[in-house]
Amino acid sequence: MTITRRTLVQSALAAGAALAVPSILRAQDTQAIRMIMGDIQIFDPVFTTSQYTFNHAMAVYDTLFALDADLVPQPQMVGKWSASDDKKAYTFELRDGLRWHDGTPVRAADCVASIRRWGQVEPSGQLLLKEAANITPTDDKTFVITLNEALGSVTEILAKPLFMMREQDAKLPATEQVTTNIGSGPYKFNAGLTRPGSRVVYDRNEQYVPRDEPSSGLAGAKIAIAEQVIWENITDPQTALAALQAGEVDFWADPVADLFPAIESSNNLVLDTLGGNGSDWVVRMNFLQPPFNNIKMRQALLHLIEQKAFLSLMAPDAKFGRTVTSTFGTGSPYSNDVNVGWFKEGGDLEKAKQLIAESGYAGEKVVILDPTDWREGDVASQLLASVLQKAGINAELAPMTWSELAVRRSNKGPVENGGWNLFITTFSDYEMRDPMATSLFVMKSDEAWYGWPQNDEFEVLRDKWPRTETKTERQALAHEMQRIWWDYVPIVFLCQTKAPSARNKHLVDMISSPAPERAIWNMRKVEG
Amino acid sequence: MADYIFRRLISAIVVMAMVGIFIFLLVRLAPGDPAVVMAGRNATEQIVNGIREHLGLNQPLPVQFIHWLSAMLHGDFGTSIFSGRPVLELLVQRLAPTVSLSILTLALSVSVGVSFGILAAWRAGGFVDRLLTVFSAFGYSVPVFVIGYFLVYVLAISVAWLPVQGYAPIDEGVGDWFAHLILPTVALSLPFVAFVARVTRASMLDVLSEDYMRTAAAKGASSYAMLFHHALRNAGVPILTVIGISFAYLIGGVVLTETVFNIPGVGRLVVDAINNRDYPIIQSVLILTSGLYVLINLAVDLAYTLIDPRIRY
Repeated sequence: MTITRRTLVQSALAAGAALAVPSILRAQDTQAIRMIMGDIQIFDPVFTTSQYTFNHAMAVYDTLFALDADLVPQPQMVGKWSASDDKKAYTFELRDGLRWHDGTPVRAADCVASIRRWGQVEPSGQLLLKEAANITPTDDKTFVITLNEALGSVTEILAKPLFMMREQDAKLPATEQVTTNIGSGPYKFNAGLTRPGSRVVYDRNEQYVPRDEPSSGLAGAKIAIAEQVIWENITDPQTALAALQAGEVDFWADPVADLFPAIESSNNLVLDTLGGNGSDWVVRMNFLQPPFNNIKMRQALLHLIEQKAFLSLMAPDAKFGRTVTSTFGTGSPYSNDVNVGWFKEGGDLEKAKQLIAESGYAGEKVVILDPTDWREGDVASQLLASVLQKAGINAELAPMTWSELAVRRSNKGPVENGGWNLFITTFSDYEMRDPMATSLFVMKSDEAWYGWPQNDEFEVLRDKWPRTETKTERQALAHEMQRIWWDYVPIVFLCQTKAPSARNKHLVDMISSPAPERAIWNMRKVEG
Repeated sequence: MADYIFRRLISAIVVMAMVGIFIFLLVRLAPGDPAVVMAGRNATEQIVNGIREHLGLNQPLPVQFIHWLSAMLHGDFGTSIFSGRPVLELLVQRLAPTVSLSILTLALSVSVGVSFGILAAWRAGGFVDRLLTVFSAFGYSVPVFVIGYFLVYVLAISVAWLPVQGYAPIDEGVGDWFAHLILPTVALSLPFVAFVARVTRASMLDVLSEDYMRTAAAKGASSYAMLFHHALRNAGVPILTVIGISFAYLIGGVVLTETVFNIPGVGRLVVDAINNRDYPIIQSVLILTSGLYVLINLAVDLAYTLIDPRIRY
């Protein structure tokens, strides 16, 4: 056989066409939606607080109640519900048509077991179990929660989100993972195509019966439009952007801030916060060790921190950051301005120095745990150290991975014995609306979150929270709690960042909600 | 020969046992705690302690070691702490992309590297030799991720001929499988092509200056016969050694390439496992990798006898 120039050119063109086939196929694949959603290592939303796991749970599991766009609980799996006049007995009836992905019907007993498992670990669930005299199914579709004392917020507690699992799964202790991934939500977990650490695949649940109400926040009709949703774990941001630009993926949940300009300059891509409230950056002090066991030192810290300086680092684009001073975050019905005037501007070095002197601070070493494997946390820690040093505080960074930090922060001892004074973390602004759900609000020393603050006056008010019924009563209580909070200074806010997601313009109707969880129902691809 | 192979296999087992003990101690004594990673950033101490107890991580280190050793001796690689799936199953899932990438890279590196080396030696001191010297320096110096991003920008985004990232299993179509591997293979091959080309050139130049090569030339042997029949065969042992070493280094390079091109291979599996402190995966992958190194070395030693009949074991 003779190879001529013509056959060579023909072969090259044929090879080129063959290689181009994958991208052509991808472009035509409108029934599947590909998303970069991070690495889901654990699939049980009770076992971990990881946001990625909650995203997974939103797809696979359903909830009894869900919060609408105005953060009002609305029935989801529940059809009818009622409360006794004394608010001590709540009756819930499941709506028709609910089935697990294995085809069996959802029973009230499944829901009771799910509530009990969740209540082992989630603060408001723990409260519910503590207050409940009984949680029992009365028939296959109905269960009753009987309380020792009236609670005004039972439906709010059940709208946390609290994911319903089959009874046999929910019987496992909360410290043991449920790995079956059988829920009753709008999407089914496809174990055959899933590759842990790399790709998670969901198929549309054809049996799912959506509610009749229009979608609002995480409540209302959940309609699974895409036949298949594929979550890719692309760890390299540059590769993720390239995949989005090339149309190989449709959505990227957490683009890095460095790439925002590149995304915004692309005609086909959109940056969108999807209604999310963002994250509150928080400095936590150790209340058991000097110098932050002294209230004046904590107040000095509050004066020192200038949130705008942190914002310029954490959210260089003003659209995606703002200051936060309310205990209850910026986007909740309970956000307020009580007792924030004295430190609101921040950056008052003279006032801080005065308080430091009054506290009797004698140059003790202040150890800041610095998570170097979390880029933003590392940068914020470095700025914090610099700010403290300017005020004459002997601040020292202790570089480590987040995993090491999480171990070391449980050390209650002095810094000489491996203890600590400060570390930075983030809390969802959405969670800050509820002092019962967020561990940061607990001020009961040993029962409190790392740092172990104690303030009995605040705890009395916090205990009243679930017992109040109306929004107005809660707002009044929130004002009083915030007054005590900022006098005591259990944390210092650094700023709030709103991390947008990036998507191709052809992906529309994504769920918009202040909650940090990403929902995948209702979204669809359009031509063009 | 059989005696030699047997002795090498015995020594391989000893090496792997020592590696196993070292790895166990290394991962357990390193700071960090999988229970903390599993529970999430804002989990309470109570939850973290519960998980630690459930996983048996609060047991004394010697007890944990005996459990692990006993399981390994029974061929049980354990279960991933995170996904709850058997490590062997996860490894098998991740093996195909890594093996595909490694084989294609090795094939490209050897074929192009040896060809370039022969060409440079044949035209030593000339323009082609200098050009290939510059190419080799470039290949050594430019990191894999720079080449990777450049190739992605040009071939996957600008002209859209090839996919940006990912892996397509070969049973879903050879074309798609190959298309997904072209860019990572080229990016990963570059330093190895440079390495093999340099060593081939040096080895060939040594042989080409031997007396018997002059004799062959005097007897009228063609350039082709001199280069491929006489010189290359005699220069083969160092080249083969370098290819063996390259294969070992390749496994390290695969990790970065898999990250840049989002290939779900063993490299990414082990990096994720290290970040999460998923002990069973780290231990199993490192033990198997060390075994693979030992086997590659053995294969290279045995291949010497094929190239050079004077070598006997």
